[in-house]
Amino acid sequence: MMSSVKKDRLGKIIDVSFFPLLIFFSLIMLIPVYILVKVSISQPVDVLTQHPTFLIRNFTWDHWIKVLTSGKLWPAFRKSFTVATLTAIFAIIIATPASYVISRLPKKVKYIVILGLFFTRMFPNVGIALPIAVKFLKWNLMDTYIGLVLAHLIEQLPFITWILVGTFEVIPVDLEKSAMIDGASRLRALMSIVIPNAAPGIAVATLFVWLNSWNEFTYALYLSLSDNTLPLQVYYYVNRGGFFQTATYATILTIPVAVVTYALQRYLKSDYLGGAIK
Amino acid sequence: MNFKKAISLFLIMVLTFAILSGCTGTKEQASKEQKVLRVSMALGESEWEVMKNKIFPIFEKENNVKIEAVQIEASDLITKLEAMHKAGKMEIDIITQDNMQLAQLVEKGLVEDLSEYRDMIPENVIKALIPVGEFNGKLYFMPYRPNVEINFYNEKKFNEYGIKPPTNWDELLKVAKTFKEKEGIGRVAIKGTLDGNTTVQLFEFIRQAGGDPLVLNDEGSIKAYTFLKELWPYLSPDSKKADWNTMNKYLATESVYYGANWPFGVNVIVRDGGKKEIKAHAGFAGPVKKSKVLGGEVIGIPVGSPNKELAVKFMQFLMSKETQELLVTEMGWPSCRTDAYGKVEEWQKPYFEAVKEALKVSQPRPNVTYWDTVDKALNDAFREIVIEGKDVKTTLDKYAKVIADAKK
Repeated sequence: MMSSVKKDRLGKIIDVSFFPLLIFFSLIMLIPVYILVKVSISQPVDVLTQHPTFLIRNFTWDHWIKVLTSGKLWPAFRKSFTVATLTAIFAIIIATPASYVISRLPKKVKYIVILGLFFTRMFPNVGIALPIAVKFLKWNLMDTYIGLVLAHLIEQLPFITWILVGTFEVIPVDLEKSAMIDGASRLRALMSIVIPNAAPGIAVATLFVWLNSWNEFTYALYLSLSDNTLPLQVYYYVNRGGFFQTATYATILTIPVAVVTYALQRYLKSDYLGGAIK
Repeated sequence: MNFKKAISLFLIMVLTFAILSGCTGTKEQASKEQKVLRVSMALGESEWEVMKNKIFPIFEKENNVKIEAVQIEASDLITKLEAMHKAGKMEIDIITQDNMQLAQLVEKGLVEDLSEYRDMIPENVIKALIPVGEFNGKLYFMPYRPNVEINFYNEKKFNEYGIKPPTNWDELLKVAKTFKEKEGIGRVAIKGTLDGNTTVQLFEFIRQAGGDPLVLNDEGSIKAYTFLKELWPYLSPDSKKADWNTMNKYLATESVYYGANWPFGVNVIVRDGGKKEIKAHAGFAGPVKKSKVLGGEVIGIPVGSPNKELAVKFMQFLMSKETQELLVTEMGWPSCRTDAYGKVEEWQKPYFEAVKEALKVSQPRPNVTYWDTVDKALNDAFREIVIEGKDVKTTLDKYAKVIADAKK
């Protein structure tokens, strides 16, 4: 009796505080983004003061125009976008079948393989970037898209394989067996039954790889000479001290992230497997 | 898998490989067509414009060469050159590098010994700039661009409280106390990030008191640390986070009214930020003298430079009177030559004068192999004495011994 009263109270507290808390935490996450955008479209007088205003008072496109017409944005944008997209494509092509196989291995073997995957991620990028860069330079991969894609794959493949192993593990083997009883080959069962059911996990993995590659800095720094990626451009402006161009570049950096996240979020469903087994 | 899906997958892969092969081929094709001199510099956007439109074309025309400029920050240059050096594929012909970050380039064997080209240094080069490029009696770097920190101040705020920029330590303390008293928070900042930024300021304070930072427990060093300990409570809380980058922000957003920084801050704060009330002067004197740390950039040639001969010519070109005059006029950079005169823009003049004034009392940092130990000892002593309030003499004795041991 007492416990049900307590539960009711807790439920009421949750009901009452849910939306205020939701708004509060959303604001905490959104305010830095707002400030970034605000600085990029404000005149210096609004920003370079002891008490900057929260709202935009003196609006200007000057910083955006400067960045958009500088001739430095589009090559960096193109490089970042191409590298992130290719990294995501290759990572999915390689990691999906690998993860499926690992997920179907005997438990002990699977554990060792997954530990092996994590072992490769135990070393910080800064520590291994130099020897990797040396190797890539020997292969003439400096300042090339393929060099950066390969470097990003080193970092991303173990991570997304691990995510996808988890995804395939929860798809019951009985589902494949049922398809095969109905006459499907193993490959057909994989393509028509397993992969569609794994779509949410694959979407999450794609999203992760794309975002990680888009934001990646260390390898880009080592392997870029003439053409920067967008994070390197932001770094350049941070180093050179221009507040407004830094904010503008950083805003531009976040736009594709928002677009890609929005495009993929429709695949992120939690109850995909409900009632799938015959 | 149905036929349609298989074809789509195949096409995606073909397209991908086509893009990749296209991307890797362009550089080789370009290099076959024209001889390229690859130059590494760390410049702002407007500075690159001047380089690319006014300076490089002269050399390109004279030598029938194409200059490909790459932007590499001073701190990243070492790792990038190291990677190229280890791979046996040096992709950069010539560098200009911050003179505060030279030791590692020499220690790791990344730059050529330029002693045989010593005669190329023009007669009129400021003599103090030459030792900056010398290590163990060998010349690794040529003089290019002197630089020095100037002291920025918010003229409006100084006028508001009827005070003037400090000319000595006593006045500095008075200014710091006045701001703290009037506003309840310190408005004078020093760079207290306990890294190379702080080291530069500590060198200045110690030398201003007649001390030697490599000794550290001499009378001058004791005076300097004692003064900083007294000054610290009246400084801005931003001091702990103030470095070469954030100092601009603190000055521009008026959380700091007085602080020293490199002159590039003028472009960020005054030109881009429109904060015309931020002025600059050459700084203050200590009990013994005025002293500033000589910064700036030098020219080096990486080991394995693919076009060394051309790089040497370019080095000479950068030190020439004509180029130095262009750098003064177009960039507002002080010249490394005493005979190069240029006309800076009107708005830049007061800042340029402050730089010139500060340069007169500037001294280079010593090029010692145990530099990392000195750097750490100075900063650790600062933390313990100034921030944590420990005894000056005892602490300095401790760190003086650390430096003395490293010397051996």
